[in-house]
Amino acid sequence: MATVVPSALEAPEELQLVAGDELPEQVTLWQDAWRRLTRNRMAVVGLVIIGVFFVTAILSFFWTPYPTWRQALGPTYQGPSVIHPLGLDDYGRDILSRVMGGAAIALSVGVGASMLASVIGIALGLLAGFYRGKIDLGISLLINISYGVPDLLIALILVVLIGRGIQNIILAIAVTAWLGMARLVRGQTLALREREFVEAARSIGTKDLKILTRHILPNALGPIVVQATYLVPAAIIFEAFLSLLGLGIPPPAPSWGSMASEGYKALQIAPHIVLAPCLALSLTVLAFNWVGDGLRDAIDPRMRR
Amino acid sequence: MSRGTLIYASQRLLLITFTAIVVSSIVFIGIHQLPGNAIARERRLNPATEAALLHHYNLDLPWPQQYALWLQGLAHGDLGESLVNEGTQITPLLLREAKTSITLGLAAVVVTVVIGMSLGVLAAIRQNTWVDYVASTASVIGYSVPSFVWAFLLIILTVTGFYAWSGGQIYEDIGWGKIEQIPVPAIALGLPYAAIVARLTRASMLETIRQDYVRTAWAKGLSARVVILRHALRNALIPVATILGPLITGIITGSVVIEFLFGIPGLGKEFVTSILSRDYNIVIGVFTFYAALIGLANLTVDLLYPVLDPRIRY
Repeated sequence: MATVVPSALEAPEELQLVAGDELPEQVTLWQDAWRRLTRNRMAVVGLVIIGVFFVTAILSFFWTPYPTWRQALGPTYQGPSVIHPLGLDDYGRDILSRVMGGAAIALSVGVGASMLASVIGIALGLLAGFYRGKIDLGISLLINISYGVPDLLIALILVVLIGRGIQNIILAIAVTAWLGMARLVRGQTLALREREFVEAARSIGTKDLKILTRHILPNALGPIVVQATYLVPAAIIFEAFLSLLGLGIPPPAPSWGSMASEGYKALQIAPHIVLAPCLALSLTVLAFNWVGDGLRDAIDPRMRR
Repeated sequence: MSRGTLIYASQRLLLITFTAIVVSSIVFIGIHQLPGNAIARERRLNPATEAALLHHYNLDLPWPQQYALWLQGLAHGDLGESLVNEGTQITPLLLREAKTSITLGLAAVVVTVVIGMSLGVLAAIRQNTWVDYVASTASVIGYSVPSFVWAFLLIILTVTGFYAWSGGQIYEDIGWGKIEQIPVPAIALGLPYAAIVARLTRASMLETIRQDYVRTAWAKGLSARVVILRHALRNALIPVATILGPLITGIITGSVVIEFLFGIPGLGKEFVTSILSRDYNIVIGVFTFYAALIGLANLTVDLLYPVLDPRIRY
């Protein structure tokens, strides 16, 4: 982790406050950010929900009340009951088990796509911002052209071309999700490369790669973490879109989107089939957005309203 | 429109054309690298028919030649013929569907702007009161709940709910073609973006209502309506306008799902059906249309800036 000490910059003000009795406690940017984050009520609620989501997802690999694929556990379209708290779907499968299994898929796709997109975006953003010139021109042109096409269409066509496995879905999402990250990192790099500490590093003959990874990247990490957090819910929604259109992870995998899609035709007689995965999806996305907002405010105090 | 604006607009139009050509070319070339041939059906065709079909679609030529022919067609506004429904010309089909999509998209933009700005302004002028908290929470929930979930909720409300309350008198008839069928999909499509607009409007209103000229307006004894709508909101709109570009792209993307769910015969639904039936000529055509639509929408937004902020000139 980066060891940038913003409190050193703010020290004079704080020194006046404590009247020079004792030096303020030294905290790193991340300790400081964590402290602010945990003081934000919505962010804490979000963290708790994400915690439940993670535990459920991991638990579902080992145990769900019923196997997610087992059909005819009872009457089809049965509403919530004691043994099936969320009811049964159109094949008589237990919806609670499937929602739990869906958490694992959402988690893998969300985190996987966010990480892949971040890696691509960070690498290209650093290159474009640091070297400028032709490299920047090329990368920026690629970004601008890609912004002219709806990302969902690109993902849909890629899925048709490369197949519907979970890795392919992650790839198809990341192919367009890196754009925002690359833009952000490029901007940060453009600003940071002019700073004195980069000039100092360069003057003592530090290699480009080391300047990029040791000096520029750590200082841009704050906004990157925020952006990567927002990418997770975006990828989860994206996967749901794909599944809803029938081009997501193939059945019988219990993806939230395909559950909603399968339940849609029975929306009037058995709305619980659609509502359960939709509620899980919305809650997860909401939690990530709360944490993202909290992180953004915590890392950059000026953004606070 | 000044000379500068005209030059700017024509430059942008060139760029839009370029983007549309590049995008559709990439898709064209990508698709033509696929193994197998595009007219393969479940039923085996007799070789003579197959050869005739391949010839009909120019698929018997090497792909660079096909590409050249396709570009030639594009220059005349001809996107070719459907691979699945022989004889169906793609350009008129997509033009008709684009009209539907644009109607839905514009309705969604209206929903977004009206709901988003009202909530944002309300939250800002009642800052730190319960109105503000309710509006702010509603906006985070609004953009966390994806459009298709709003669609399901609205369908349950307007179809099942209204039917039960009115004893079968009133209910939403899901579909397209009548004016009263527009609002429900438009609201589902617009709500997530309305939430984003609300957040931005609130933040930007909070900044402007603290400015000196707004205080002067109050001091002159102007009515609250005039101060807030004419003095504060007018300037608060400038940062909000910057989101309109990404918002339009988002609405177009979202419309793919909404059109699919509501069975609306627009470009998005066409794209999904064509990609599932492997009608690649239509897929390429829709890409071309979308690239052009997004470009034009963004250009319109950019031309709106000088109207909102006279300091901006092109």
